[in-house]
Amino acid sequence: MKKKLAFTSLMAALIALPSQAEITFNGFASIVAGTTTSSNDNLYGYDDTIDFKEGSIFALQASSDLGEGLGVTIQLASKGADDWDPEFKWAFLSYDATDELRILAGRQRAPFYMYSDFLDVSYAYPWISPPKGVYDLVFDTYDGLSAIYSTSFGEVDASFHGIYGRITDEFTGFGDTITPDVSDLTGLATTFTYDWLTLRASYFIADTTMPFSDLEGLAQGWSQAGFEDVANNTTISEDSSSFLELGFQINYDAIIVVGEYTNLEIDNSPLAEEESYYVMAGYQFDSVLVHITYGVDENTSDIYTSDIPYGLHPDIDFLKGTTEGFLMGQETEEEYVTVGVRYDFHDSAAIKLEYTDFSNKLNNNNDAGLLRAALVTVF
Amino acid sequence: MKLPTNIITLLVSLISFTAFADIAVIINPSNNSDLSKSDISKIFLGKSKTFTNGESVKAINLKSSSAVRDSFQQQVLGKSKSQVKAYWSKLIFTGKGKPLKELSSEEDVISFIASNPNAIGYVDRSKVNDSVKVVN
Repeated sequence: MKKKLAFTSLMAALIALPSQAEITFNGFASIVAGTTTSSNDNLYGYDDTIDFKEGSIFALQASSDLGEGLGVTIQLASKGADDWDPEFKWAFLSYDATDELRILAGRQRAPFYMYSDFLDVSYAYPWISPPKGVYDLVFDTYDGLSAIYSTSFGEVDASFHGIYGRITDEFTGFGDTITPDVSDLTGLATTFTYDWLTLRASYFIADTTMPFSDLEGLAQGWSQAGFEDVANNTTISEDSSSFLELGFQINYDAIIVVGEYTNLEIDNSPLAEEESYYVMAGYQFDSVLVHITYGVDENTSDIYTSDIPYGLHPDIDFLKGTTEGFLMGQETEEEYVTVGVRYDFHDSAAIKLEYTDFSNKLNNNNDAGLLRAALVTVF
Repeated sequence: MKLPTNIITLLVSLISFTAFADIAVIINPSNNSDLSKSDISKIFLGKSKTFTNGESVKAINLKSSSAVRDSFQQQVLGKSKSQVKAYWSKLIFTGKGKPLKELSSEEDVISFIASNPNAIGYVDRSKVNDSVKVVN
């Protein structure tokens, strides 16, 4: 009896307490099942065995209003593709200087793409996930500062999102797990919305360092052979990089059309220049959205060793062969068509079905068909 | 023949408001702000946070199961239930917005607005009483 009383007063105290710093919890989740349609196909991490982990994600967000325009937001996301290791995608302090100007400090999403801000919130867009051909930067989150200025010019709503920061999150590429350094990441994303039309453009620059051990080894070889320029090109060390995105969105009655173009360049590096785009068209029938997407992804390498002839020395021949193999190995010309449906069967949940037909023009062994189904929710 | 401007204005406002004649958008009687349909829409989409008189807005939603909320969103915001939900998830999961306060009945909305000078809400027109002011 006494215990119960103590418990009741504790509960009462807890209920009375949070009035000062109220914490709001929100979350979202996607459970995605996928399989390629024939036995030798591999695409976006799927093979011909039905998988439930690769595309699935659970995330929980806590935010608190500290008063006087100050707020804290933390978002923890756990992805099947990362073996469910939870990761902070957002962790920032925000300050609403005015109704139009908001300043964020901390860990946040870089606004590279149209759907960057809510990249994993599948409930907020038509597809299971945005087209991988365009959405293929290895990074989506940075640590630093940003300022968002939202205003309107007559009937046009405009938003300017400027960022400055750095990325040092470990990732795996070319079979090597490295800690990169994308420093002085500076950029601006602008969005203009007029009634049914949205236009977007973003541009970012940074100095990129990626110490892949194979490339460092190759560069050392070139340096010892006396080819300093080639050695410099072969390492990815403080190389100036740029990323451009142009996008549009039309929401006219039941019709939705979306397109995005991106270009990524890392100067004086062995990484290919990437050019990608997609166009999606959809039609909303009551609670069912039907959509089709066509996309192209082209990577072009600068073969900077082509001036060096074979036959100078066996060691140089080997370096040239290996380097050119690496450069050409990155070249791709890919094309895909995705058809899908989204069915809003519930207030806070939707079912999505998608089929992707993928073809690689340079190597048709990589052609694949992928079937995915998803249950997505916000809570 | 020329129509007087005030008749044209009246006609225009009739045209833009007939679309949601059954829904009453209500504010506290002490609030003297002018609100167009687009102002109301901006408030309920979290785009504007102050009234024309400079006071900060406290917008009140009905629970998502409410049919009145459905019609309000359809007629005033021009969005379906799932479109509104998707719109708000973008704001919430980027830390840009907080969900609006929800009350479970139209009576609760009316009494909240009657006692909060900077609140705005909506109810079925038949539920309105003297304690609140209708703006549409």
